[in-house]
Amino acid sequence: MRNPRLILLSVFLLSAHFIWAQTRTITGKVTDRAGNPVANASVLVKGTSTGTVTTAEGLYSLSIPASAKILVYSAVDMEPQEVTINGQSVINISLAMADKSLQEVVVVGYGTKIKKDLTGNIAKVKGAEVQSMPVPNLNQALQGRAAGVFVESNNGKVGEGVKIRIRGSGSLSASNDPLYVIDGVPINNSSASGNPLADINFNDIESFDILKDASAAAIYGSRAANGVVLITTKRGKAGKTVFQVNTQYGFNKPTHLRGFLDAKEYVDLLREAAINSDNIEGVDPLDPAQYPGSWLEFAEGRLTRYSGWSDWHTLQTNTNWEKLAFNDNARTSAVDLSASGGNEKTKFYFSASYNNQDGILIGNNFRRLSSRINLDHSVSDKFKVGFNLSLSQTLSGRVPNDNEFATPMQIVALSPVTPLKDLDGNVYNTPTTTYSNPYVDYVDGHWRSTIYRNIGNIYGQLNILPSLFFRSELGADIQNQNDDQFYGFRTTYGTGTNGYGESDWYRSLDYNLNNYFNYKKTFASVHDVEAVVGMSYQRYNSEYANVYGEQFPVEDLQKLASAGLIKGGTSSSSNASFVSYFARGNYKFNDKYLLTVSGRVDGSSVFGKGNRYGVFPAVSLGWIMSEENFLKNSDFISFLKLRGSWGLTGNADGFGNFSSLGLWGSASYAGTAGLITTQLANEDLRWEKSNQVDIGIDFGFLRNKISGELDFYNRKTQDLIYNVPVPGNSGFTTQTVNIGSMQNRGVEFVLNTENIATKNFRWSSSLNVSYNQNKILKLDGDQTTIPGNDGRYLNSLIVGESIGVFYGPKFAGVDPNNGDALYYEQDGKTTTNDYDAAGNFIVGNPNPKVTAGLTNTVSFRGFDLSFLFQGVFGNQILNGAGGFMSSSFDWFDNQTKDQLKRWQKPGDITDVPQLRLGYGNGISASSRYVYDGDYVRLKNITLGYNIPASSLRKVKLSSLRVYVTAVNLLTFTNYPGWDPEVNTDYRAGNRNQGSDFYAAPQIKTIAAGLNVGF
Amino acid sequence: MKKVFIIIAASITVITGCTKKLDINPTQDISDQEVFTSDANIKAALNGAYDAISNSYLLGGDFQLYSELLAADGEIRWAGTYNQPREIFSKSILTNNSFVTNTWTAGYNTINICNNILNAIDKVNTADQDRVKGEALFLRGLTYFEMAELFAKPYSDGNASSNLGLQLITTPTSGGISDANYVPRSTLQETYNLILSDLTEAKGLLPDDNDVYANSFTASAVLSRVYLQMGDYANARDEANNVITNSSYSLTTTYAEAFNRTSNSSEDIFAIQVTAQDGANDMQVFWSIPQYGARDGDVDVLQKHINLYDPADDRLKLFYLDGQNIYRSGKWKLQYRNLPIIRLAEMYLTRAECNFRLGTTVGATPDDDINNVIRKRVNLSPTTITLDNILLERKLELAHEGQRIQDVKRLKLTVDGFDYDANELVLPIPIREINASNGALQQNDGY
Repeated sequence: MRNPRLILLSVFLLSAHFIWAQTRTITGKVTDRAGNPVANASVLVKGTSTGTVTTAEGLYSLSIPASAKILVYSAVDMEPQEVTINGQSVINISLAMADKSLQEVVVVGYGTKIKKDLTGNIAKVKGAEVQSMPVPNLNQALQGRAAGVFVESNNGKVGEGVKIRIRGSGSLSASNDPLYVIDGVPINNSSASGNPLADINFNDIESFDILKDASAAAIYGSRAANGVVLITTKRGKAGKTVFQVNTQYGFNKPTHLRGFLDAKEYVDLLREAAINSDNIEGVDPLDPAQYPGSWLEFAEGRLTRYSGWSDWHTLQTNTNWEKLAFNDNARTSAVDLSASGGNEKTKFYFSASYNNQDGILIGNNFRRLSSRINLDHSVSDKFKVGFNLSLSQTLSGRVPNDNEFATPMQIVALSPVTPLKDLDGNVYNTPTTTYSNPYVDYVDGHWRSTIYRNIGNIYGQLNILPSLFFRSELGADIQNQNDDQFYGFRTTYGTGTNGYGESDWYRSLDYNLNNYFNYKKTFASVHDVEAVVGMSYQRYNSEYANVYGEQFPVEDLQKLASAGLIKGGTSSSSNASFVSYFARGNYKFNDKYLLTVSGRVDGSSVFGKGNRYGVFPAVSLGWIMSEENFLKNSDFISFLKLRGSWGLTGNADGFGNFSSLGLWGSASYAGTAGLITTQLANEDLRWEKSNQVDIGIDFGFLRNKISGELDFYNRKTQDLIYNVPVPGNSGFTTQTVNIGSMQNRGVEFVLNTENIATKNFRWSSSLNVSYNQNKILKLDGDQTTIPGNDGRYLNSLIVGESIGVFYGPKFAGVDPNNGDALYYEQDGKTTTNDYDAAGNFIVGNPNPKVTAGLTNTVSFRGFDLSFLFQGVFGNQILNGAGGFMSSSFDWFDNQTKDQLKRWQKPGDITDVPQLRLGYGNGISASSRYVYDGDYVRLKNITLGYNIPASSLRKVKLSSLRVYVTAVNLLTFTNYPGWDPEVNTDYRAGNRNQGSDFYAAPQIKTIAAGLNVGF
Repeated sequence: MKKVFIIIAASITVITGCTKKLDINPTQDISDQEVFTSDANIKAALNGAYDAISNSYLLGGDFQLYSELLAADGEIRWAGTYNQPREIFSKSILTNNSFVTNTWTAGYNTINICNNILNAIDKVNTADQDRVKGEALFLRGLTYFEMAELFAKPYSDGNASSNLGLQLITTPTSGGISDANYVPRSTLQETYNLILSDLTEAKGLLPDDNDVYANSFTASAVLSRVYLQMGDYANARDEANNVITNSSYSLTTTYAEAFNRTSNSSEDIFAIQVTAQDGANDMQVFWSIPQYGARDGDVDVLQKHINLYDPADDRLKLFYLDGQNIYRSGKWKLQYRNLPIIRLAEMYLTRAECNFRLGTTVGATPDDDINNVIRKRVNLSPTTITLDNILLERKLELAHEGQRIQDVKRLKLTVDGFDYDANELVLPIPIREINASNGALQQNDGY
């Protein structure tokens, strides 16, 4: 069967050629609605290639064949318009500004749609909006830019963990991260260390399309419960080859320093704490007879030890250790080069990029070299091939996790009476320093991580019929990582063993095959039908090996070849696969009524044999009310669409590849191998399913000068996968089971406004506000609470509350009579100084209620200014290190300044308990260490100037822009810690949120740069 | 149109056969059904049970550490930064103490592996069945005993048949959690009954020699401890005497030779094997200093303890001073060394004490055991044989080896102002367990 339309068109084109002789001329002027002439507008006889473009004054003159009936006027950024000629010889026309937001192409997974026709909720962030932002990780660039997308960096370590939650947390033990798909390839989001997304140069990215509701995401069924981030990289356009060069240079600083006691305060308070402890035991240490064996003797002995060569009595040393955790000369630099272009048959985009950022912490840095080639080639009208390939190398200087003595931030625990160096110039370590000194690890150790990352795919697309094509994509994501560590003889890890060396190798190969048909046709000019049917197969493989050793002959020999003792080594591998079949149908009637139905069947290897397959359907409806006659001519309402969707999505990631099996793994004793239990079986383990309803309105007022979206959603996750605590007498602590359900309900609001649009001055704003309420609806059986108080943290699971709420003792202040820390008993009124007798209460929620972003873009002549404020509201943070750093001198850790307000004598009203060395006065986890985590931040501000094109012609440049940009320039918060954007890396998880533990503050960057085009 | 069919057919071919691709097995683990199918696998699981009991939270050091910290009495001090051991040292233990929590779960992990082995014992080659069964019973009995010492009231308070013991689990956990996991705690007497029956049966099944693994004398030595704890001096004496007279163990020539060893000494009846590649020694980690690869010298030995020794005592010479002039136990000085669990010297001390108490001279006189064996080796002249002197000898000989709180409890002594049967000297049942037990597990008094 041939397409009758194509034949018709050919016949029409031929006949047009034959009647060329009979012509007449039409002239006129094209203006915009403000009356300004539009240059380079195209004027075309409809259905032919006969046409012209307007002059700089907007004038045109066009010879047309007598048969011509309609002229089509179009121009960049304008709404095209058709005019019936009807014998006119002069046609002046004014074009409206195109509402680009509605014509914008949105990537929907196995296809694209224009935004106007969408029935699901997809947030689009253009690559251009985040271009040149000096952050290493693309998620950080998205922070605050899309409604319902919550982004949080764990801490200020450069290029490391970033949490992203789309419409809240949907899962307990399975992954809550969205699926990332780059040019059709679902990428691997795990690595041996660091953050695999940091390997991606986001200056290559054309757009991010974030699929939020179930109907949008369901086509990725099994993996889509937490949303999908579709990333499309830049592609070439036919025409002149365009070169772009961007360079950037700047500085990194911590957003905030916390402040600790100085030497005098340290000595005074420590002695006071020791004396208090002695007094409890009935000892007066100030009496020389009672001094021996007293706490005071112990403490003063420690002061002497900590002072090294100096004398604490005279406060000879006053070291600010907190400052020493930071590199005060941290720089950032970047260079990007790209070339794109091609002809009608072949198009290309090439890029190379170099990004070098020093972290703010000592020993922490990040360097990425990356390149990309994207090629598309039309073999014939019917057959198109292409490929995308990126290759990057990421080199990172890492620092240990927040819970290690060797991590730079734990340096704050050291005593200010300790000098940095001894008299020979060596950095002091234990026993002079209170704990292992991270500065020694910085000087005498390294942890270098090298990652080679290759993400690519090839595709072929065959147009079987004009309305039917078949596309096949084969993609791969390859990661090759080596972490090389060495710690010298005096370091935390290397003391007593003459050094410590470790080499870790990690390789992952994920490949993905997609095959699908796409059919698209309009019937009777009012029925638009599109259908997609296909399958996909994904396979994940990772291999890991490591070896570590001790006893190095000299510190200069740092590879394991020189280790006198190989302590251990391992190799392991993991595999998983998915087989999926999917279909989607779209129907549009009369450009007004929209229907999308999709379904996906997924099989996953991670479940037991009987539970492998899941079915994930979705349906959505849209009604473009503004196309109805009663609104069509409204001056006020330019666009109005109602949409609603329902769908089911699944989750099979993040809880291990073999969780349904009862497993035994290897053990070793006395040099002989053995077997030991590793996992409790659960044959019934099945898909976690997420059921989501979304109702939304898209609106545009006043020729879309004001536009936006309002969405209500309700996402209910059932069969939650959780490592539920089981009685320890089973020999196990947890079992992976499907328990209960959880709900995320919320509202998202997006408002884009064109505030001022004159020839020289333009100002537009974009606001997004999201409200999300997360609630656990059901846990296992009759269980309503899985408490999580482990002494440092309180993240718990409680029916009716949000995931990870802080549940534990409520601090009732300090007993004015004796300085004891008090807690409320379960009645909420009586107080007790016995922590074990304290009641349990919900004392905080780490999930933000509201997140918001506000972008303003202003341009004036050659200047452009944009700034993004981002805010997080309604969440709390628990400082898990409170029991060390704000602990009434329970031990020798230096204390936060607030401890100066301690209880000293009967009658004192304060919330800092009496100082007691070794007596743990109120230091276990409670509401005492819970703080509000709300903040508003000037996330990004950029001021640029474009040198006028007229001046550039002489130097043969097409564009030249200089700019300054800043990230995290200002932060407004009441959180007393380092930074309210925090979730300590060593325990960050679904339930474990909102916790601070020596987490580095975020990075503040100020940089200047240059963009050149030619 | 033909092409369309070809493509559709081709893609269908690609699609089919994919289901097989979902069959993926783990590479580092094997499923439980596969474990208990062969003799070799069950023997491997037995070695795994030793690995489990050598966990740092059990006999890899923390059992011993808890015992010494509970009985500190001004002779040692927890000076480290970890507040979990500090809570134990100061006898104000929170129910969320993570060390205590991990000790509980590591203990039952060992017990579960033993139960699995015992359940599948008929799959073991007939020739080895007795030995394998004996070892599994021994490890289970020993684990229950060590846990009962810490998580239950002392046997010596006379209320063993009403005091709470442990949840007694004797069947393997398979396929999931069952009602067997929600049993209440048995009484302490029932717990001891299981311990005695496991160890007695083990003693009969085990060979006299079994490399570094448990043999019949190891079971006998632990039985001696259990009986001593129960105040059954006759049985304690006889088991100790059995080890001394019938086994091939002998005291090391010098006291120092018994410690910091990479292989068992001639007097190690049972020792946890530690190498640089494998095993944990938390006693070394906490008692030694960074110079020897340990933490920060977390346990200080105080003058009050040092003063107990005669200046000529070789055992005194094993202590060393660190750079800050704080005494450190030389028993735990070097990294990657074995942990002696029961030494022959303890059998002599037990025999002497029991003979003295009972007025008997089974095997040897108390004078012989104390003066000619124990004191002679450490360069001390004979002393008068009184109960106090025997007990002092025991305290110094076994100092900082993890036996102190057991002796305090059976001898009804007072430490740090706490009576031997104080609630504070019993570890809490971890709150994690209380929460996971659906109400079946009862907390200890005072928590």
